[in-house]
Amino acid sequence: MQPPRALFVPFPLGRPLGVPGDAEFQLDVLRASLAMLATATESTIEDYPIEAPEAGPEVWACPLNLAVPTDDTLTGRLMAEVARLRPWATETRRQRGRTTFGLSGAAADQVDEVAAALALVAETGDIDTNPVVDTAAATGWAHDMPFLLRHLADDLRSFYHEAIASQPGETPPNHDALNEWIFGQTVFGEVLITIGDHLTAAESHSPFAPLIRGLMIPEGHYRDVASFKGIAGGYES
Amino acid sequence: MVRLSDLHPTEAEHLRARADAMPVLECERWLTPPPLTESTVAIVSTCGMHRRDDPPFTPLALDYRLLPRGVDWADVVVSHISANFDRSGLADDPNVAMPLDRLEDLAAAGEIGGVSQWHYTFMGAMPQPQSFEETGTEVGRLLADDGVDVALLVPI
Repeated sequence: MQPPRALFVPFPLGRPLGVPGDAEFQLDVLRASLAMLATATESTIEDYPIEAPEAGPEVWACPLNLAVPTDDTLTGRLMAEVARLRPWATETRRQRGRTTFGLSGAAADQVDEVAAALALVAETGDIDTNPVVDTAAATGWAHDMPFLLRHLADDLRSFYHEAIASQPGETPPNHDALNEWIFGQTVFGEVLITIGDHLTAAESHSPFAPLIRGLMIPEGHYRDVASFKGIAGGYES
Repeated sequence: MVRLSDLHPTEAEHLRARADAMPVLECERWLTPPPLTESTVAIVSTCGMHRRDDPPFTPLALDYRLLPRGVDWADVVVSHISANFDRSGLADDPNVAMPLDRLEDLAAAGEIGGVSQWHYTFMGAMPQPQSFEETGTEVGRLLADDGVDVALLVPI
């Protein structure tokens, strides 16, 4: 690729302007890129010289007590975990005045339905039939299985991110620490890994199943193998 | 873009393979826009962001969505299919990938001439970038017809 003018920025994927909530930092990145309009006379790639401040701690512990002593079904444990997280997720939505939850087709207040749907798929192993957990939500899913799983997972991940964004204390964890927490310490992570196993087992009748696994579970967090298993041509960015 | 050394090794290897397979796309005709203080600027992003009632992006999508100047961030979601980039920053501040408010800041300060009425989002996740030629050219025509002088391409 030979773009006319390109600025290489050393920031994590998902943060091309560097720092959320820091207008001055973002403006500096923009000015550096736009300045090349006046200086470059041929196809040019420049390095942006400033590192973004560390995006939260690399090792992070959620201060909430997510241990659930009673109901030991996967559904019961996940619903209890979601209930523990809800006050802080609600607070984040209140502060932001918005949410990115809902691409599965669920309404903003249907977090329980999304969690129950994921837990149901984990428990039954049925990756072909849209999960029926509530009449309104079930008829409102915006996608079909198994692709629906990708958006169910992303919706619940958005909720978990909301649940820690406004908690008191240090800055929220970075992308890697978030994944370490979700896949190492939460029932949600356990549910996703279990669904990942079902998708792996379904490869013979659903060639797209391993692909969906890679769209649900970030690299490095599925067992000890690659999460993403593309088909010819691949889908990954 | 991110340093490969900051990625999970599997993802880094994947991107290396993608880069090796990338066709050579040379710089087209060299254009020099008007001075920045007189230029209207638009953003074209591959972050997969769109308004909530737009259809979500689907695997191998080559189409685009429109974000109007002054879009209400409460109306915006991200349906990019990859699980391998940070979403928490975007959820906290959409400007970290789609810096529309920052363009308004630059326009208010007189550093750019103006902000385009329309901005465009694609989803990346496409191993053959030449597949975007048709919709990419279309967006180029639309930007030109709209009086845009500078298109800022922002990959996720």
